[in-house]
Amino acid sequence: MSNSHLFLKSGFPRAPLQNGLGRYVCQLQRITLKFCKNNGSSRGMRDFIENHLVDFAKENPGIVVYVKPRRHRTPVLVAEYLNGQREWLNCRNNSQSEISKWIDLLKTQNGSSSSLRLRKMWHTDVPSIQGPWTPFLLRSPEAQNQTYPSREISTPLDVPQSATEKLIELFKQQKLEAAGEGGVDGVLEQKRAE
Amino acid sequence: MSLIRGFAVAITMAKPMNRTGTVQTCRHIKRWVSPTLRELAHRVQKQGPQKPEPRAGFIEWNYRSELFAFGKRLNEEFQLPLLQTAFTERTYAHQEQERQRKLGIAESDLHTADNVELAAKGAHIAKAYIEAYVQHSLPKVPAIGQKAITSYLLSTETLAHVSTHLGTKDLIFASEYPPSNETLANTLNAVIGALADSSGVERAFLFVRDFICTQLNQKDLLDIWTPEQPLQLLGEVCAQRKLGDPEPRLLGDCGKNTVLSAFHVGIYSNRQLLGKGFGEDVKTATETAAIDALQTLFDLHDNRRPFDFGIQLETKHVRLEA
Repeated sequence: MSNSHLFLKSGFPRAPLQNGLGRYVCQLQRITLKFCKNNGSSRGMRDFIENHLVDFAKENPGIVVYVKPRRHRTPVLVAEYLNGQREWLNCRNNSQSEISKWIDLLKTQNGSSSSLRLRKMWHTDVPSIQGPWTPFLLRSPEAQNQTYPSREISTPLDVPQSATEKLIELFKQQKLEAAGEGGVDGVLEQKRAE
Repeated sequence: MSLIRGFAVAITMAKPMNRTGTVQTCRHIKRWVSPTLRELAHRVQKQGPQKPEPRAGFIEWNYRSELFAFGKRLNEEFQLPLLQTAFTERTYAHQEQERQRKLGIAESDLHTADNVELAAKGAHIAKAYIEAYVQHSLPKVPAIGQKAITSYLLSTETLAHVSTHLGTKDLIFASEYPPSNETLANTLNAVIGALADSSGVERAFLFVRDFICTQLNQKDLLDIWTPEQPLQLLGEVCAQRKLGDPEPRLLGDCGKNTVLSAFHVGIYSNRQLLGKGFGEDVKTATETAAIDALQTLFDLHDNRRPFDFGIQLETKHVRLEA
C-alpha cells in the first residue's frame, strides 16, 4: 500500500444482499459506451461495437447498454452498479480485445473495485465461536475444590531469592563442606592408627 | 543588460506599427482564473449541498429497456405494463392527474394506474410465505419469537434495503427523489404482486425466499428477538416439555464485592445442565443463563445448522387465506 492509498475508502470483501445465496444477480445494471465516430483513439471501441456489442447485449439481457457517440472525445466506459456506485474507465487507444476484457471485469465485480482498499481478504459476521472470555474459562480441575483463602495459592509463582536466604544457603554449604573434609580426615587417621 | 532592455522596449514600441493590433502574440499569466474559480467556489458553498440528480433525467435513459432488464436481471418474467404500474406511486399518479387536468386533457383518460393494489397483494404474499418459512426453519421457537423474526423481515428497513439493492431506486415514479424507505418497501411489495400476476404465485414465493428470507443469513437471532422475562419463559417451556423445574445454581464467582465481580450461574433441571451464563451480579448471571438455556431449547445458537434457502415449501403449507 502506498501513501496515495491512505485516504482510499477501505472495507472487506462482501456480497451485497447475500448475493448468490438465493440466486445470483449480476450487479452491473447499466453500461454506457462513449466514443468518437472518426477519431483514431476510439478505433478499438468502434470495432467492439461493430463486432461484439450485439452479442454482449443478447448474452446479458439484465444489463442495459447505452451507446453515446460524441465528437473528438476519448472513448470511455461508464458502469453503474446496483449498489449505486458508478465507475468511469478511460479506454483511449485500447484495442477491441482490451475493451472486451475490461467489460468482462465490469460485469463480474459488484462495485467499483478500484475505489476500495481491502483490509483483509476475508470477512466473517461471527468473529468468535467461543464467546467472550471469562475468569471461569479453561479453569484447572484442582481449582474446583480449593478452600480460600489459601496461603499456597496466594503466593506469587516467582519470588526472587532474598539476600538473607542466599547467605544462609552459602553458610550451610560451607558447613557441609567443612564437615565433609573433617569426616575424610578422621577416616584416614583411623586407618593409620590401625 | 540595459542594452537588451532598451532593445525590448524598442520592439514593444514597434509592435502596433507591424501588427493590426487585434491578435495578441505574447502570453500572459491569466490573472482572471484564480478570482473566477474563487467566486465559483464561493457560490457553490453559499448554495449548500445539491440534491442528487435522478438518473432518469440523463440523456442516456430508456425506461422500457430498464424495465426489461430489471426482470431479466432477477431471472423473472414480468409483464412490462404490470411492472410499470408496480413502480408508480399513488402520490405520483395524483400529481400526473393534476398536471393533465391543468393542461386541459379530458377527464375520461385521466386514470393513471398506481401500485396500491399490487402492493397490498404483494405484502400479503410476502407475509404468508415468510411466516411459513420461519415456521419451517425454526420449528422449536415459540409463536412470539417467530412473529418477531417475521416482522423483522417484513420491516420497512429490511424491505427498503432489499429494494435498493435490486435497483428499484431509479425506476420508481415517486413525487420525491431519492425515494423514501417507505416508498422503496412499498415498491418491493408491488413488484412481488406484479410477479404473482405475471408468472404465478409459485414464482412470487421463490422471489420472497431468494431475496427477503436470505436476509436472515448470518444474523444473530438473539438481536432480532430476545425473550423479555427469560426465567419465566424457561419455566413455562420446561413445564410444557416435562423437563422438570429449572433451578439456577452458582457454578463459580470471582472478585466478590469488587468492581470487577463476575458470577457464573448454571441452570439445571432434573440434574441436567440446560445453560450457563455470566454476569456482574447473580441476577444478571441467572438471566443470561436462562437466555442461554432458551437458545439451546429453541435451537437459536450461533452454531446452529445454517438456514436452508434452497427449500421449496409446498403451496398448501403457505396460508394465503385469512
